[in-house]
Order: sequence, then C-alpha cells, then structure tokens
Amino acid sequence: MFKFLFKKEQQLESLITQYLENLTRTQEHFVKAMDTCLDEGLCGEFAFLIEQTHKFESKADEIKEDINVLMYSRALIPESREDIMNLLEQVECIPRIFELILHLIRSQKLKLPEFIVLDVKDLIRISVESCDLMIKQIDLMLNNRQGIRALMSTIDHNESHCDHIERSLMIKVFESNIDRIDKLQLKELIIAMGEISDQADRISKRVNILNLKRRV
Amino acid sequence: MLSLLGGAFLGWSLGANDAANCFGSAVASRMVRYWTAAALCAVFVLVGALLEGQAGIETLSSLTSIDLEQAVVITVAAGLTVTIMTVFGLPVSTSQAAVGAILGIGFFNQEVNVSGLGKVVACWFGTPTGAVLVALVLYKLLALVYNRLQISLFQADMLLRAALVVAGSYAAYALGANNVANVTAVFVGAGTLTVFMAALIGGLSIASGVLTYSRGVMETVGRKLVRLDPFSALVVVLAEGLTVHFYTVLGVPVSTSQAVIGAVLGIGIIKGAQTIKRKTLYGIFTGWFLTPPVACFIAMSIYFALHLEYVPK
Repeated sequence: MFKFLFKKEQQLESLITQYLENLTRTQEHFVKAMDTCLDEGLCGEFAFLIEQTHKFESKADEIKEDINVLMYSRALIPESREDIMNLLEQVECIPRIFELILHLIRSQKLKLPEFIVLDVKDLIRISVESCDLMIKQIDLMLNNRQGIRALMSTIDHNESHCDHIERSLMIKVFESNIDRIDKLQLKELIIAMGEISDQADRISKRVNILNLKRRV
Repeated sequence: MLSLLGGAFLGWSLGANDAANCFGSAVASRMVRYWTAAALCAVFVLVGALLEGQAGIETLSSLTSIDLEQAVVITVAAGLTVTIMTVFGLPVSTSQAAVGAILGIGFFNQEVNVSGLGKVVACWFGTPTGAVLVALVLYKLLALVYNRLQISLFQADMLLRAALVVAGSYAAYALGANNVANVTAVFVGAGTLTVFMAALIGGLSIASGVLTYSRGVMETVGRKLVRLDPFSALVVVLAEGLTVHFYTVLGVPVSTSQAVIGAVLGIGIIKGAQTIKRKTLYGIFTGWFLTPPVACFIAMSIYFALHLEYVPK
C-alpha cells in the first residue's frame, strides 16, 4: 500500500537480484572455460571464455557499487545495510577465485595431467553446486522462506567432500613423476579450486546467522 | 506579551532538547531525514498541545495561586534550572524544574496544593518504572507478532522504518500534550491566558525549539539509542509515547527523558544486558533528585531579590 514511499528499497531488491543472477552467469562461463581447458587445452575458445568470465566479474563490481551507493543514500536501516554489505563483500570473493584459477592456468600455461582430470572435474562440479545452493540460500534469506538451515548442511557436506578431493589430488600430484615445478604450480591451482567450496561454506554459515538475527 | 517571553524560552529549550526522545534514533541512523522528522515532530507537538494539553495545564495552574510577576519568575527560574543542569551535564526534566519553581513561589505565598503536589510527585516516581513495565510488555507482544510475519527482509525493513516514524509522531504528540503545561500553565494560573491560548502559545514555542535547534541533540542522543537494535529502538519510542500519554490523561506533566531511560532499562531486562552504564544511572538519579530543589531555590531567590528594598537609616 505504501510502496511508493520505499522506492529505494525496491530498487535495492532488484539490484541484489541482478547481482545474484550475474554471479550465476559468471559461474556458468567459468565452468565452460574449465571444461574447455580440461577437454581441449589452452585454445581460442578458452581465451574467449576467460574474457567472458572477466566481463561478468566486472559487471558484478559495478552492480555492487550501485548497491553501496543506494544503501548509503538512506535505503534500509543501518543494521540491514551493514549485514548486506558484509555479505556481498564475501560473495564477491567467489568470482575473484574463478578469475584467479583461470588466470593461473593461462599465465602459467598449465596443462593438467590426465591422472587428475576426473578429480578436478569432480571438484569443480561440487564447488559450483555449493555456489548454486549458496545463491539459493541468500535468496531464501532475503525473502524469508524456510530451508536455510537444510541448505547450510548440504553446503557443509559438499565442503567436506571437496576437502577430501583436494587432499587426494595433492597426494596424486606429489606422488607422480612430473616435474617439481609443475607440481608446485598444480598445488597452487588445487588450493585455489578448493577455496571455492570453502568460501561458499563460510557465506552459507553467515547467511544462517543473519537469518537467526532477524528474529527478535 | 513581554511577560510571556520566559515561558516561550522554556518551551523553545524543551522542544530543542526533547525532540530527540521522539525522533533521535530515526534521524541519527539516517532512516528519516532531519527536516522530515523535525516537521512531523513540530506538527504533532502542536496537535498534542491543542487536543490534550488542557489537563496538565489545569493541574499545574492549581498547585498555588500566583500573579503575573510570579508567573514570570517561575518560567525564568525553570529555564535557568534547565540551563544550569545542562551545563553540569546532568539529565534534567523540564516538568520537575517547572513544578520546583512553582513550589518556591508557593512557599512564599504560604499556599501549596498538597494533594495536587502529591499526585505530581507520585507520577514522577511512576514515569521511569511505568516505562520499564510498558517496554517489557510491548517488547514481548510486538516480538510475538513480528516473528510470525511472513515477510521479506526488505518488507521487514520498510515496516520497521514506517513504524519508527509513526511511533516518533505519536511520542511527539504525547510530548506536546504532556509538556505544554510546563511552559504556559503558570500564565493560566496568573489569569493572563486562557487554557486554549496557553496550549497554542506553549505548543508553538515547543515546536519552534524543535524546528530551530533540535538537530544537534537529536543526533547525539539518537546515537546512544541507536546502539539498540532497530526493533528495540521502536519499542523504546513507543513505550515512551504510551507512558507519557498515560500521564497526560491523568493531567500530570512528566519527563519524556525519564520515560525513555525507563524503557531502555526495560529492554535491558529482557535482553539480559546492561543497556545503560552505572555512571549514567548515577547522573540520572542525581538530576532527578536535584532539579526540583534547585528550581525551587532559584525561584525563591529571584522573587526575594525582586522585592529587596533600600531602607535608609
């Protein structure tokens, strides 16, 4: 009834939805880039997909800036402002990790050995699934729907699974006969890939706390 | 008209100081623009004074019989008391200052309405304690409803902001209705003003204080309240409004600051947290006990000084 009084809040809601949709697009391009890299190596298509991922990551920065400006022009109460800002700061780390991984592969001209490809695909698949669930969880929190805790448990479970794959990958790499420098480069890449599910888990726990905080 | 200046000054300082109790949290947290808050506060103060200020005016004007000169002394003494206590950093109630000054003149006149005074003093004790109780009950009731609402974070946010504006306006209405008596009741007692004119002039002078000088106080006092979460801040403002309005119906001017402090203590009881520091509490109690005697002494001194005569040997 009094919606006309709260235009800024409505704009903010739409910007946050845009931000989350943009994150999904970034994620899709990252997955495509990784698949291309794992199946075809460093090719033109891979370079194009890196550019696309970067484009969506930059767009996310722009939307986040708009959100910050809108929030500090008296949209939302200060407590909600702070919560949303901190949450978006944490979410922003995920596309950065995507870019870091792709940048590592391109700049160091990494070629992933055949014996780790399946595990890497698994690690990426589960990590991205965690990100999808985290986005869904944020949407639930913003719209006061049930199921936040259940999603947190699934994300937590995925994170443990990813940790397990990460450790197994490290063992495989360091037990292999590849060059020592290659081993160190792969180690850095594996740690970066493992960070995706860790970050999704951290965000998921934060979302759960924010949801509990809303109860008085 | 010049004789009304003391009252107008008292009303102005009351408006400048007490607007913070109504809209401080909303303005300091930038939920509401200062000018929107000040305009709403000024309008509702005036409406409150005109619609329900009569009972308080009648109570204060019946505490003792006074003439116009004594009415002026009372308003000047009350204004000086508020200023002195503020300089010393002690929380001060304009209602206590006004009643203290009236008593001072009453002692001179050897005429004090004891039953009326008893009612007023009892209500002074009742203001903070009443606000504690109202805050406790309100918090529980509103939390029950709020937690059951199936609304998004944005809707909850809009609801809280709208509720803070409504509660602030209501508290401003209660402030005007209750405190207008402190400003102009003595002129009704002196026969200078009718009750309606007293409510109008008193309401306008409080509103002018809100509009011209409340920004700084709103932002500093508001910041202290904002340390509470938004829901608790809403309960505090609403509890303050309800408590002060209750005493308005009884016809006793009370302190909105003391009602706010009581409500904040009530929130502290619910949350199991210390919402007000011990040192601040000592300051509040000191101000609470000192204001009436200081105002009484100042009123007596001014009146005594005005009637000193040079007697040649």
